[in-house]
Amino acid sequence: MYKTEVRGPLILGDKNYHQISSDIIAPINKPVPLWWKVAFGISNLALLFGVIAIYQTVAVGIGTWGVNNSVSWAWEIINFVWWIGIGHAGTAFSIFLLVLRQKWRTSINRAAEAMTVVAVLCAAIFPALHMGRVWLAFYIFPYPNTRGPLWVNFNSPLIWDFIAISAYLLISASFWYFGMVPDFATIRDRTTSKIKKAVYGFFAFGWVGTTREWLRFEALAYVLGGIAAVLVVSVHSIVATDFAVSVIPGWHTTVFPPYFVVGAIFSGFAMVMTLMIIIRKMYKFQDYVTDNHLNAIAKILIFISLIMGTAYATEAFIAWYSGNPYEIFTFFRNRATGDYAPEYWIMIVCNALVPQLFWFKKVRRNLTAAFIISIIINIGMWFERYNIIITSLAKDFLPSSWVTYSPTWVEVGVFAGTLGLFGTGVLLFFKFIPMMAISELKGVLKVTSYNTHDKKHISHE
Amino acid sequence: MNKHFVVGVFDEEAQLMAAVNETQKKGFQIQEIYSPYPVYEAIEAMGRKTRFTTAAFLYGLFGALGVLAFMYYTAVIDWPINYGGKPTNAFPSFLVVTIVITILVVTLASLFTFSVRAKIFPGKSFVLPDVRSTDDKFVMVFNNPDNKNDFEALARILKDEGAVEVYEKNIEPEN
Repeated sequence: MYKTEVRGPLILGDKNYHQISSDIIAPINKPVPLWWKVAFGISNLALLFGVIAIYQTVAVGIGTWGVNNSVSWAWEIINFVWWIGIGHAGTAFSIFLLVLRQKWRTSINRAAEAMTVVAVLCAAIFPALHMGRVWLAFYIFPYPNTRGPLWVNFNSPLIWDFIAISAYLLISASFWYFGMVPDFATIRDRTTSKIKKAVYGFFAFGWVGTTREWLRFEALAYVLGGIAAVLVVSVHSIVATDFAVSVIPGWHTTVFPPYFVVGAIFSGFAMVMTLMIIIRKMYKFQDYVTDNHLNAIAKILIFISLIMGTAYATEAFIAWYSGNPYEIFTFFRNRATGDYAPEYWIMIVCNALVPQLFWFKKVRRNLTAAFIISIIINIGMWFERYNIIITSLAKDFLPSSWVTYSPTWVEVGVFAGTLGLFGTGVLLFFKFIPMMAISELKGVLKVTSYNTHDKKHISHE
Repeated sequence: MNKHFVVGVFDEEAQLMAAVNETQKKGFQIQEIYSPYPVYEAIEAMGRKTRFTTAAFLYGLFGALGVLAFMYYTAVIDWPINYGGKPTNAFPSFLVVTIVITILVVTLASLFTFSVRAKIFPGKSFVLPDVRSTDDKFVMVFNNPDNKNDFEALARILKDEGAVEVYEKNIEPEN
């Protein structure tokens, strides 16, 4: 009974170690395909639009945005939270599955971590610009300065946020990088090109794969995995406190930190699914990203979607149960039935209802359907942040301060620019970095998720 | 100073481990094992140990105390700010920054420790006895015994256990 095949073989196609290296390194040695060039061109155009918009913001000021006295946080903070959420999943995926010894992570973790690093970079642009004078952004560092020294206020969630995101970026980038060192060594030792040998050789840091190196490599992975798991939970909890410690109706709720963490993992896993389907289709990696891998992600998405639905219901219930007229107004008059009803119901449908289609095996196994649902989830998550930020600010306690908000082209431009940056980053990753952890794939080649204990020589966990 | 080594090349992890056990039983000193992915039994057989987790714990402990001390210094001693009459030593709200910075300290210090102890750093000159070991081969390296008979005995054991190649090689030792 315990030998039920849960996920089946992790790598199909009867590969050997040499084939794994060849398969994963192949895109680095081949010239880039046409779709890559087209996608890269589009991403660069979007990025250019973003650069123009950022130039406008910095040169003229925040007045070029649609924000006003009531809606003082808007498009930028929506996008910031959205990107951080996406950036969450890479490390969440990689680390929770590492800590839980889930071997199916091996073909996905590298791409998920790459996604994290790029998404967090995209996210960091928004609060920096939102400071208004971005050239003085370094004031936020607690350093001995000539202004007193006047230190930052360590009780402010905005400081927590800055510290958490900087730490998160550094930690996920280094976790990602050190995972790649053995793979760079593999490329170094296999390539015939002198330039590649020199470049990848440099980045391989002299890795040769002795027992001395592997032992410490594994120890490092587990230490970082263990503590970064705490970080993953804390970073988005801190983002949630940006809202939850205020007194604005719709923000001032205790459910926010866990609700944000789950939402972040939700959008990030959806983005992982989008990316893995692209990788599988475009690079024909169906032996590595098997139906079982996508199946597992889809099942996690169902579960998280249920939690999201519960969180939405809880918020509404507590608003009603509290009897607080402002809360009741925000949740029932403003969001569910008022001016912002379309956005509210898009959020509910995209996040709580559509992912439930994954209960059907047919939908889980259908790549096109899975791809579309994964995109819908990220649209839904964008609208969730829209709901939280815009509706609460646009109509708070005093009807005299009620306003409407719409973004200007500059705000749209910055967002488009980050989408372009994300696309550019991910495409460069496809081209120059092994998309899957080659050494880890070799470690699980002869292991499946169900027969680990039968195997005499347990390989790489 | 170049040294003479015997290199045994294997296709499979299981064959490698059989050879490791057999040669160790016969008293041969294995210099090092190179593998494309971590082979835990080989690490154990080589007697490799690490105190990485202890080090990480200590980094975390010092990191946490250091951050708390720094925040106490800035917020209480150096420039106390009265915001809403709350205590300047706002310990519970300092915990958030403490957790995050502790994690950062542990990560950076662990990476540094890894770099030092595993000797992995940019620009390192390295010795790779058989270039295929980062791809698909498991490679054992022995100090070449002075006695010719011993070499033949060693080569025979390796071959018996499934080595695809056994050869002698001059290698510049790492340190």
